[in-house]
Amino acid sequence: MAAVLHHVSLSNLSHVFRDGRSPLSALEAVGLAVPPGQFTSVIGPSGCGKSTLLRIVGGLLKPSAGTVLLSGRPPQAAQREREIGFVFQDPALLPWRSVLANIRLPLEIDHLERRRRLPDPEQLLDLVGLSDFRDYYPHQLSGGMQQRVAIARALAFNPALLLMDEPFGALDEITRSAMRYELLRIWEAHPGPAGRKTVLFVTHSIQEAVVMSDRVVVLTSRPGSVRADIDIELPRPRTEEMERTQPFLDYVYYLRNLLKEAPL
Amino acid sequence: MKGPLRAFAAHVLPPAAALVLALLMWEAWVQWRDVSILVVPPPSAVAERFFERPGFFWREGGWTLYEATLGLLLGSAVAIGLAVVMAHSTLAERTLFPLAIIVKVTPLVAVAPVLVILLGFGTTPKVVVAALLSFFPMLLNAMTGFRDVNPGALQFLRSLRASPWQVFWKLRVPSAQPYLLVALKITYPLALIGAVVAEWFTGDRGLGLVIFSANYNLDTPTLFAAIGVLAMTGVSINVLLSLVERRLLFWHESVRSTR
Repeated sequence: MAAVLHHVSLSNLSHVFRDGRSPLSALEAVGLAVPPGQFTSVIGPSGCGKSTLLRIVGGLLKPSAGTVLLSGRPPQAAQREREIGFVFQDPALLPWRSVLANIRLPLEIDHLERRRRLPDPEQLLDLVGLSDFRDYYPHQLSGGMQQRVAIARALAFNPALLLMDEPFGALDEITRSAMRYELLRIWEAHPGPAGRKTVLFVTHSIQEAVVMSDRVVVLTSRPGSVRADIDIELPRPRTEEMERTQPFLDYVYYLRNLLKEAPL
Repeated sequence: MKGPLRAFAAHVLPPAAALVLALLMWEAWVQWRDVSILVVPPPSAVAERFFERPGFFWREGGWTLYEATLGLLLGSAVAIGLAVVMAHSTLAERTLFPLAIIVKVTPLVAVAPVLVILLGFGTTPKVVVAALLSFFPMLLNAMTGFRDVNPGALQFLRSLRASPWQVFWKLRVPSAQPYLLVALKITYPLALIGAVVAEWFTGDRGLGLVIFSANYNLDTPTLFAAIGVLAMTGVSINVLLSLVERRLLFWHESVRSTR
């Protein structure tokens, strides 16, 4: 038996898209093991298969080769248990539903209350700081607020694993920076059933990866494979002041050089 | 009280003024050039004919509207049902879509007499012709609407293992609403045309019959009054559908951008 049961473990994962004119190799022999409760960022040049990786982990896409295990089970089993929360770059809210009704949507898909205690949607709204906007509609909210709703929606089943695909990619720089700390606060304030949620966070911002993560995985350009895997040993809670300290800047510098070397 | 009044002044007055102006010019033209009433009647004569027996025009118009509405419901129901199947299966689309195109390209005036022979008099042939005319635009719009869903929302629902049925009701149907309303704005007038044409051929009731016999008798004021009632019916339907649209699609860009 393994000493640590990893929450997410990928071995020899490859994916080739065959629906285009010529086969497109997106991922090649990716191996990764993430322990429970770790905040891991995946970073790499655009088109390196970061989103593909996330969709495979979330069970939305079957890999061409290799295995994915989530706490020892295939992703579909974790999906069935509603243990995966997805946040995409586009908040993808339903525009005809109010903020509260959007957060309730997952509960309408499956009435899981009988199996485990679920967070109250109103409390989730409070958690993301939108209590005053419960009856608003998405088009009445700013981009940052919409993304907060999407985060609250992903938390509806209190999943143990959060998969975030460039969730702040469409936001302006100031909102984006605030949302990073906001997400960290939510992550720390809202643990899953077994401690902190495991987060797999795809981004193309080096700063963002360092600010948020315990660990940063750098992918090579297409087909993506793991180029580097470094631990970010900065104390938590992370603060904006930390972004000006030497260790932080060293991490950023180091990662930037790694990405520069990656052939585009 | 100021808001609605201003909206009225902004939206209703300009087209109403344009209409009145056009009618005045028409009247003036007929009077000055001394155009024969057998060719074009002056609006005043048309109005006179209408107000001689308004009940007659409303009753016949009511028949036409009734048949058109039934036809619209029938055609839309079949179109939406097929669109649901076709949006979920490419095989069904490949099989059925060419048939739908045949229905669309066959000229109605050629089919209407056949249908009358086939179905006899009464309501049925008119309803069927109206349904045939309103079928295709509804099919096309519904198909596009059921498919035009936010890909992120679709992925999110799939990550929750939502069933196709749940995806359909929670995502596809609301996403299709703007398309369905646009389709209705197109197909309701088409259904009216269908009912009128069928009435020509069956000749038992409705504005189609009124138009047909007035034409035969060179009774142009009656002819134009019937056309006027048809036009007013069409306009009312459009206004009604626009109101529904504004209420139902408050969240959609098409409505929000006009606020």
